[in-house]
Amino acid sequence: MLKILAWEFGKLIRLRSVQIGLAAALLLPFLWAFAPGLRGQYGLELVSGWQVPALVLRTSMEFLFPFLVAIASAEVLGSEVSMGTLKSVLLRPSPRWRLLLAKIAMVLLYPVLLLAVSLLGSLVAGLPFGLGGFFGGTGLGPGDFAGIGYISPGTAFREVLRAHLLAAMVLWPLAALALLFTVIFLSTTSAALAAVSTLFLMRLLVVFPVLKDFLFTSYLNLYVSQQVATGLSLMLIYAVGFAALALLIFERKDI
Amino acid sequence: MNDTVSTGTAMPPSAALEAQSLVKRYGRKPVLEGITFGVQPGEVYALAGPNGSGKTTLIRLLTGLAFPTSGTVRMLGADLYNGGHAARRALGAVVEAPAAFYPHLTGRQNLEMVAFLSELQGSETKIREMLVKLELLAVADQPVRTYSLGQRQRLGLASAILHEPQVLILDEPTSGLDPQGISRVHEILSELAWKGVAVLLSTHHLREVSAYADKVGILGGGRLLDEVRLGSKGERYRLRVSDPARAYAFLRTVPGVHNVSLRDVSVVFEGSPNAALAALVREGYQVQFLEPDYFDLYEYYRERVKHA
Repeated sequence: MLKILAWEFGKLIRLRSVQIGLAAALLLPFLWAFAPGLRGQYGLELVSGWQVPALVLRTSMEFLFPFLVAIASAEVLGSEVSMGTLKSVLLRPSPRWRLLLAKIAMVLLYPVLLLAVSLLGSLVAGLPFGLGGFFGGTGLGPGDFAGIGYISPGTAFREVLRAHLLAAMVLWPLAALALLFTVIFLSTTSAALAAVSTLFLMRLLVVFPVLKDFLFTSYLNLYVSQQVATGLSLMLIYAVGFAALALLIFERKDI
Repeated sequence: MNDTVSTGTAMPPSAALEAQSLVKRYGRKPVLEGITFGVQPGEVYALAGPNGSGKTTLIRLLTGLAFPTSGTVRMLGADLYNGGHAARRALGAVVEAPAAFYPHLTGRQNLEMVAFLSELQGSETKIREMLVKLELLAVADQPVRTYSLGQRQRLGLASAILHEPQVLILDEPTSGLDPQGISRVHEILSELAWKGVAVLLSTHHLREVSAYADKVGILGGGRLLDEVRLGSKGERYRLRVSDPARAYAFLRTVPGVHNVSLRDVSVVFEGSPNAALAALVREGYQVQFLEPDYFDLYEYYRERVKHA
């Protein structure tokens, strides 16, 4: 299985959508950190490089990162369908679930990779503002950007890392959903479109208060919350559910 | 001539690959209906049929890529759909033309991946042997994206036979190959069949495969219209004669001449050409020519599909 995971990782990083996504995640922090209209838009004056990651997360988690994850997750399997290699692999005496399990691992790994690169870009972009201790907040811990007093570099890093891990994890249901749609439609475009449409639809469904707590879009900003247990559990249930459904359908899917 | 045409569905139990009453429908639309046939070890079975006749769907069903609405496929006795992935251990297949590979990997790396997924032991030597056999050694370490169509087809065949399968299924194996490549593929397939591999291939090149196929299945409208067994050749004769209708009726009474039929202005028969010729001359018929009537699979196929 390790060899298959290594192959799948090699294929993942060669996907055009993944390369574009990672490049965007690396470069966008520089855009946000030095944007001239930053104060006007967010009412924020950066006082520390530790605040750049929060700024990047707030701007990217609204749409960009979910969109990039949906596209890349659809392409993980969709590219194999369009190249014809899926058939070649499935002809071998290897169970279908093993291949899809490796694909699921990759679509769950991608948000982590995306957020890790974004964090790296954010910290590098934050260097001119300094990465030492400061009075204020990272925007990702107690007191938001105002903070609750002096914050050490270690504490700031922990807050930023926790937020990025949470941001990656809340993208897992969307990644698993995009893969599920690819299994159903066997097409990158259709699956990505269906996943993005679901994302939009869920955002609209907040007008029904009874549904709000069950929409995974309600938890895309979980990374700023200090109470994450319920939201995170729900996200994991969604991700596991979508992945299990994809495995079930793929087992008897006509290719 | 012993060419026989049969539509029977009885099948010996020793078939390496057997399809039983395969039906495939998409919604209410039938694509394949009641397909039953078998391929014996060492037999080359060619599937022919016009576009849309269901060849590709049948190949997907036979390789386990798709699942039938009803019916079963057995590979060396194991149920392909309910026997788990292990039932595919005996299978080697190329289901697309040209064969699909990871373009960023070299030919050798693609074969290494195939060997790993096929649980092949001692793969390095076998891969080298296969690259030599398919004349791909010179390009083995180049990315597949740089390969020509013919090279990709040959790599496809290499990947299908690398693990020495007992059942080989190929969709248009000579598509995109030059005459030399076609002849090499035919040689390899004949050699594999000689070694006992059951070979099933789909093709439009009937005259090519009739040189080495044992049986041809003709698909039309989702049904197996005919199975033509290609036997020994040269035992059927065709003659052009004055008043062919009367000559046809007369020859039917001549001892040593049988299976007489009228084909346009020619009379076709099996049996002794000397007896037929002597009897006709004796009765005063003017025989213009007499020659062996080689079975023309292509003509037969055209007739069979036209009347389907």
